[in-house]
Amino acid sequence: MIYGDRKTGVIVTGATGKQGAFHIALMNDYARKVGGRGVVAGVSPGKAGQEVHGIPVYNSIRDALREQDASISVVFVPAAAAGDSIMEAASAGLSLVVAITEHIPVHDSMQAIAYARLNDCVVIGPNCPGLLSPGEIKLGIMPVHLSSQGNIGVISRSGTLTYEIVDQLSRAGLGQSTIVGIGGDPVIGQTFTDVLQRFSEDEQTRAVVLIGEVGGSLEEEGARSTDIPIAAYIAGTSAPPEKRMGHAGAIIEGGEGDARSKIERLRAMDVPVASRPSEIPTIIKKMI
Amino acid sequence: MKLLEYEAKTIFAAHGIPVPKGVVIKSSAELAAHILDLPAEFILKAQVDVGGRGKAGGILMADRKNGGERAIEFFEKTIKGVPVHEILAEERLAITHEYYASIAINRSSKQALILFTDSGGVDIETLVKKRPDAIRKASIPLLLNRIPSFMLRDLLGSAPKELGPVIQSLYRVFLAKDALLAEINPLVTSATGVYAADAKLIIDDNALGRQGIIQNRDLTEREREAEKYGFSYVELHGNIGVIGNGAGLTMATLDLIEYYRGHAANFLDVGGGADQERVMHAVRLVAADPSVKVIVVNLLGGITRCDDVARGIISAGIPQPVIVRLAGTNEAEGRRLLAGSGYRMLESMEQAVLAAVEAV
Repeated sequence: MIYGDRKTGVIVTGATGKQGAFHIALMNDYARKVGGRGVVAGVSPGKAGQEVHGIPVYNSIRDALREQDASISVVFVPAAAAGDSIMEAASAGLSLVVAITEHIPVHDSMQAIAYARLNDCVVIGPNCPGLLSPGEIKLGIMPVHLSSQGNIGVISRSGTLTYEIVDQLSRAGLGQSTIVGIGGDPVIGQTFTDVLQRFSEDEQTRAVVLIGEVGGSLEEEGARSTDIPIAAYIAGTSAPPEKRMGHAGAIIEGGEGDARSKIERLRAMDVPVASRPSEIPTIIKKMI
Repeated sequence: MKLLEYEAKTIFAAHGIPVPKGVVIKSSAELAAHILDLPAEFILKAQVDVGGRGKAGGILMADRKNGGERAIEFFEKTIKGVPVHEILAEERLAITHEYYASIAINRSSKQALILFTDSGGVDIETLVKKRPDAIRKASIPLLLNRIPSFMLRDLLGSAPKELGPVIQSLYRVFLAKDALLAEINPLVTSATGVYAADAKLIIDDNALGRQGIIQNRDLTEREREAEKYGFSYVELHGNIGVIGNGAGLTMATLDLIEYYRGHAANFLDVGGGADQERVMHAVRLVAADPSVKVIVVNLLGGITRCDDVARGIISAGIPQPVIVRLAGTNEAEGRRLLAGSGYRMLESMEQAVLAAVEAV
């Protein structure tokens, strides 16, 4: 595990919303299964005193921290207020915020991430499925039944494509140490570089699967920054330029960020890149 | 969403950036009505969102005598296939020098990136590759509401000081308008002052609501229809319809189609919570494209109910064959429903894609 373990207490913001409430239940199902603390408090302004699946709800993170011990928040707040929710967590002294919310205006994300950094708070996301350290902790919305415990790290800009590849790893007997969805937006908190740094310091992790896509150059920058063995898959070799492929960040702009040149640059660094997701387990097996 | 030049110039002017005198016309009659507001010689600029507009014939010199004819010429033709509905008629500047200024988002630094060069008027991407030293850069965190003076001096170098306030205003536009890009190319000096001779402004699609923009014009009609249901949809040029959940998985499905030498007709990400009704609308939307010969549905999720998805596909009642890969809860029931209605369901995304490629 690289961001938290079963002893970590978690606060969910946007707890009384449909998504927030639903995923509090799933996160705590998993916490019970692995003997973890899970979600200890929910936050929804104006809803103090309510309960969500037996978890007390507070008006603010500060209020929650007066009665509960937690160091991480998971954000399910709607887009218009999600940037503020990230800053609230940073201001209250939490060490990690996982922002699940999609469609946050990018200026809000840039401000919130910069503000969090001033407060030594790490941000994962936004527009991400969160993370899962099998057997330890689940933060966010990843389905747990496809994962298995092991020593392969996974970092991805995607959600379901991650589950697809995690499923294939598990079927091939390759369990995972931690699976991190860093988010599909153009500006995100933790990048491939940051997560790779954590994996390289993690005793459990022996190799990392890097799942990237069109847009930007964070994949190449990450691969260049580390010595840990990496196998990559880059989605979007068939994506047309200047079209946003679902994710706000998945766009080839000004001839930059297309999948083929990304793949070429990774291969030039001796990073094996799979042509199909199903090739990943074979590549990983050769590495370890 | 990309704004047209005149829309961007209106916003720039409101933030104190000088722009050439001009008028937007929708017909040659409108030009005639405004002809005396314009100088004797002026330029006509087609308001179309195409790259390399000047070279494609989108800018014409005109005067009071031939202006009407030239405007008609524009309204009757297309620029790189795009019809001209509006023309900006603008004073001609006696340009002494062309500069370039832009503010964009840098994914790596997570800050705004300001670019300035005294070699303006050219394609900036070409300049970046050929003469990177000619471009001056500054990174600014969005926590600042103005560009600090040292940064501005660094950017300008030996360029005239008068350009400083323009770049400062451009940053204010960038912040106020939730911009992904605010660009002036060229930013010109003339005997009478400093002007934004052209203007580009791209607004964050996720901020259109708070910017008071109701409709995203960058979308095609079918893409807009898809947006109503909350789908991400992109039209492509092949004959295999694609429906997936999640942007990455859907993109990977398209890539697999290409890998097996097939051609995708579209990208459709149904998003989270693929229930019966959403799946039905997605299948109908994709099937409505006459070039679609077969549809591949690739849905994977923890909470996706396969029986709901199967009912959605069946109730769409479309003529084209549908090949389905489904993983989630109630998988067996979904499989039974689809098999009973003559649909093919396959175990992996690769099998499903291969079957689709073979079916066309």
